[in-house]
Amino acid sequence: MASVEIMNAVKAYGDQQVLHSINIHVEDGEFVVLVGPSGCGKSTLLRMIAGLEDITDGEILIDGKVVNTKHPKDRDIAMVFQSYALYPHMTVEENMAFSLKMQKRDKEEQKQKVAESARILDLTKLLDRYPRQLSGGQRQRVAMGRAIVRDPKVFLFDEPLSNLDAKLRVQMRTEIRSLHQKLKTTVVYVTHDQVEAMTMADKIVVMHDGYIEQIGSPLNLYDQPANLFVAGFMGSPSMNLIKGRMDRSDPHQFVTQNGKVIRLPCPVDIDPGRELVIGIRPEHFEVSDEGTEFEVEVIEPTGSEIQVILNLGGEKATAAFRDRLPLEPGDKVRLGMSENGLHFFDSQSGNRLSPDLYMKEVSPEH
Amino acid sequence: MSMIVTTEKALSKRGQGARKTAPGSSALLNRGQVLLFAALCIFTLFNLIPLLWAVLTSLKHPADAFTIPPTLVFEPTLEYHKEVWLDHNFVQYLSNSLIVSAGTVIISVPIGSLAAYALSRIPRQRSGPILSALFTIRMFPHILLAIPFFVMGSFLNLIDSYVLLILALIAINQPFTIWLMHGFFSDIPRDLDEAAALDGCNSWQSFRTVILPLARPGMTVAALFSLLLSYNEFLFALVLTGVDTKTLPVAIASFGGEDISSLSLAAAGAIGIMLPIVIIMLLLQRHLVRGLTMGAVKG
Repeated sequence: MASVEIMNAVKAYGDQQVLHSINIHVEDGEFVVLVGPSGCGKSTLLRMIAGLEDITDGEILIDGKVVNTKHPKDRDIAMVFQSYALYPHMTVEENMAFSLKMQKRDKEEQKQKVAESARILDLTKLLDRYPRQLSGGQRQRVAMGRAIVRDPKVFLFDEPLSNLDAKLRVQMRTEIRSLHQKLKTTVVYVTHDQVEAMTMADKIVVMHDGYIEQIGSPLNLYDQPANLFVAGFMGSPSMNLIKGRMDRSDPHQFVTQNGKVIRLPCPVDIDPGRELVIGIRPEHFEVSDEGTEFEVEVIEPTGSEIQVILNLGGEKATAAFRDRLPLEPGDKVRLGMSENGLHFFDSQSGNRLSPDLYMKEVSPEH
Repeated sequence: MSMIVTTEKALSKRGQGARKTAPGSSALLNRGQVLLFAALCIFTLFNLIPLLWAVLTSLKHPADAFTIPPTLVFEPTLEYHKEVWLDHNFVQYLSNSLIVSAGTVIISVPIGSLAAYALSRIPRQRSGPILSALFTIRMFPHILLAIPFFVMGSFLNLIDSYVLLILALIAINQPFTIWLMHGFFSDIPRDLDEAAALDGCNSWQSFRTVILPLARPGMTVAALFSLLLSYNEFLFALVLTGVDTKTLPVAIASFGGEDISSLSLAAAGAIGIMLPIVIIMLLLQRHLVRGLTMGAVKG
């Protein structure tokens, strides 16, 4: 086990800089997920930790030692690839024992370690098979087995579940998480799937265009997104983001770009001249006679809840209800929102405004 | 229960539907296949006729060989085969051919594989010009190289030596080997090199233990093509060899034109030159097919 420290890491291909001064501290035994859309630089960063990409500037430390110029084999890390990268001409056992063989470990030790890892991952019966004879989930487990057999300081996962079907993905998610709880090894995990990030991580690093947008615990990111990007990226369905300003005459009212009024659950003290984006998560809507009137456009029942696509003067919004409301497309419905589900972002900078700055005490006249 | 019955009915109906549509499409497919098969038979026959002619001529006396129209009823003889193998230094020429071919393959394929692997792993901007240059060398008319090779060979006192012919054949064969192997290595995902690096391999170990076993079918194909090229090569062998190192194609060419019996002799020689290659092809047929289809289907 070891900590990983990334200090002012920069990656450039010629003139094109793809990672800009990245700083991340991964604690010993922590499960950190790098998440972001395609092309945000998360896989490049992971490959820099692995030693598969050069570091243009800055430093990467594993277990307190700078590894910038170290060959991947000397970093004591193991990586699970998106494609699994199993050696097709070797059996499962040979695949798993390969790194130990390269380290010239004793044959008995190799056998014992492979057997132990196979037992943990339920691969014992598959040891004689070749990768082509395995299902996607089994290949995935072999890739993990190959990684854990070495007992490395750090595990790196590069979108390991993206080739699996939805059901298997959920199952493997749990398996990886429980494996981490068993082994307590430091993990850096890359995914573009924010649900995967939310369910697996101790700490999430949200990346976008080569920058870190926010670092924090899953719930911290969900409840207090630092900016519009994080607010829109984390959560499914994503947060409703509607542009507008505060009403000049009523601090309970937010006026959208299209002139529609959204009734707020509490008075808000923000300069009415300031361009804002209001953020409301779908599950924070509630049916209320005093709420804002929306038109129902589409109803999407998922079984556990109903997702309703709404229209407010051209602005689209999504609401999610646990109750099976008798709504039909074309219906009008009045929706309020809970106070703690309300977010305001500065339209220009995209940054979230701290509630401490705008929350007012409820005055008697309102 | 009724629901199960309904489902079964639906399934059987669907099955019938599938069967109903099948005959039309399979008839079409069959007709296409028959036409294709017929075309391939004609093509094969067309290619086999010269071979058949050579086999028959080698078994005929010259008088029968020159009958017009050719006759299929004749008194067969192995006289010319015997003569070729025993009286015309055929074994020596064959061993010269095998030495030159084996030398070319043994040097050309490993060097080509190493170069191709490196080219498949460097950025395309860097590998592209090198591959284009190799392609240009391949397209260069080889006849123009024969004289410079002869001059160089004379200067180094290497005329009529295996080394000179092997070096010349490697020079003309190498671009093809590199191109062929480059295709095979490019099909092997880079993730495997990276996984090997993380598992503790240096570049050479990755190549030897992970990449090379996967490229084996490709190497077999490259080796066979190199073998064919060097075994059948005539021009360089004619210019650069002498009495001691004359190869079979050059030797057989000298069988013709002396008298009427030389035609049967030349045919027997042609059959003799073909035999080793046919045997090698039969032995490596499985690898050859695998190699030629490698990369066509993702496994």
